[in-house]
Amino acid sequence: MWVAIVPCAAQAKQFAIVADKANSVSNLTASELVKIFTAHKQNWPDGKAITIVMRDPSSADMQLVLRKLMNMTAEQAHAFVLAHRDVIMVADTDDAVLRFVSTSPGAIGVVDLYSLTQDVSVVKIDGKLPVEQGYFLRGN
Amino acid sequence: MIYKTSIFKIAVSVICVSLFSAATIAEETASPATNAPVAVFTLTTKSPEARRLVEEALDLYLDKVEQEQANEILRKAVQVDPDFAMGHEFLAQISLDSAEQVSEQGKAFATKNHATNSEQLVIEWYQDAGDHKLISAITKMNDVVNQYPHDKWVVWMTTWWLFNQSQFERASAIYEHSGITDSPGLINNMGYNYAAMRQFDKAFAMMDKYVALLPNDSNPQDSYAEILRMAGRFNQSIEHYRASLVINPEFYSSQFGIADTYSLMGDQVQARKEYEIGFKKFTLPELQQILWKTREATTYVREGDYEGAEHAFQSIADYAHTRHNSQAEADTYRQMAMCEQNPKQALAYLDKAEAAAQEGNNALKIALTQELAQILRARVEVALKMGNKQMANSTLARLDNMAESSNDRLSELAYHGAAGEVLFSERNYDQAISHLEEDNNNPFSLKLLASAYQKIGYSAGAKRTNETLTNLNDPTLEQALVVPAFRKCSDTPSSCTTNTKSAALKR
Repeated sequence: MWVAIVPCAAQAKQFAIVADKANSVSNLTASELVKIFTAHKQNWPDGKAITIVMRDPSSADMQLVLRKLMNMTAEQAHAFVLAHRDVIMVADTDDAVLRFVSTSPGAIGVVDLYSLTQDVSVVKIDGKLPVEQGYFLRGN
Repeated sequence: MIYKTSIFKIAVSVICVSLFSAATIAEETASPATNAPVAVFTLTTKSPEARRLVEEALDLYLDKVEQEQANEILRKAVQVDPDFAMGHEFLAQISLDSAEQVSEQGKAFATKNHATNSEQLVIEWYQDAGDHKLISAITKMNDVVNQYPHDKWVVWMTTWWLFNQSQFERASAIYEHSGITDSPGLINNMGYNYAAMRQFDKAFAMMDKYVALLPNDSNPQDSYAEILRMAGRFNQSIEHYRASLVINPEFYSSQFGIADTYSLMGDQVQARKEYEIGFKKFTLPELQQILWKTREATTYVREGDYEGAEHAFQSIADYAHTRHNSQAEADTYRQMAMCEQNPKQALAYLDKAEAAAQEGNNALKIALTQELAQILRARVEVALKMGNKQMANSTLARLDNMAESSNDRLSELAYHGAAGEVLFSERNYDQAISHLEEDNNNPFSLKLLASAYQKIGYSAGAKRTNETLTNLNDPTLEQALVVPAFRKCSDTPSSCTTNTKSAALKR
């Protein structure tokens, strides 16, 4: 016996873009974000180098990120990360992403919304936070 | 202050491993071990008696599935110490009475200054969630669980909240990190969590543990049966329901579980026999009686006997009316409208549903608001079937206002489902998707979502959604109206309607 309605499908996934708390950038456009995650933009406006940290983009959980931020197949993403190991870090878990971002000036990470902690800043995309209607990194 | 006695080691270390030869960061590990102190979540009260009562209530609620009794004890605890903030919070979370949930949450918030910083974080997390400040709620929840990753009550609070947010992966990650293996209630919850992720091997492993921990209780067998049914293993499900009834012949949910399972298996005659056995044998609370009478009526829908269904649903509506149960009456008329092939008759049923909801007898305001939202959603669907765009749009606008003002998730979901349907009908698939993804526990929305994904060329999403829908074994009217036809369409394309066809053919 269960005491609540059993949900039958996962809600749409929402990813948050996070930066270290000292980073003054609070908003990015979707196209700026795509440029960052495809390594076309490698510095913040203050000149600091951008380090990307994320979970393995070729993993099943990251399909939305793969589709919207990198526009690559899983195989292409795997090769891309290997070719850009100087700017892209791969973490095993969201907790590891958050730990790295919170302690690494210039780092930018992508984590599941429900992993967020107070140790990082959430960066808006096109002026929207993850919970807002029409947010870019939301979907299945 | 309470110091719980369970002891785990908290091992925090960062290990770098090479995932592939790019730079990698590995997760912190937590290896439970003996004789090391564990961070425990303390409960602050000036009364040792109040603390004892809360501990007793939580054990009853979580590990013995005695929710009503637990609530009674929690009520005593907060009488003994009205400033016991976490006592109020637990009652807010466990109460079955939504008015009490709201008032106790208010009391928890009002008395939080009597509590520790960690307790305040918990209370603020729930308060923020109630106020739709989701990001703030999530960060507070994670801060609490990061402080107390092995505390049973913190793990329960977080995994349960996440489960109800349909965040199954995060819930399972927290549970697995906790190392807790001796709480029957947590194991039960996680069995359902893995089942919701369709990780049935893990779900069954949880159920094996649950049965082993409580071999003389019915609930483990009943849970096992329900999860087997979710997996489509119907015969085994019935065996476990029968095992539950052998242990406790009064465990009525297992009797009705057997009936529900026969219905999902397609044996409606046997299903109705089993429902009748239950109705004769047990004196049920009114809402339970209505629930299973509704399931019994649904057997006619599964047979395609809409006249039989109408008769059965009408009996339920009449019963609810005589009992002055407005919400049940309204909900029954809404379901009759969903089954009705003639749009004009469907609208007539929706008028009756709305009138019953407006009467508002013996129902909480929020429940009536939620019901009205469901009625408006159904009205949008009927309007679209009639090709009446004006009615669809004006009803959608009404639903939008209601969802906006009610601050209620179920009303929002009804709006998203209806908006997705309107946008889909306008072939605005991208925008339809953003709404339908919000309502993806609803078979009607799932069906449209699969189709919309296919229309925009997102085959992986369409395939995944198709699989979710095809494998949905939920004994509800919505499942009965959507899933069997969807499966049939997959197997026999000539039986498809247009929408079902576009979703199901391209699997």
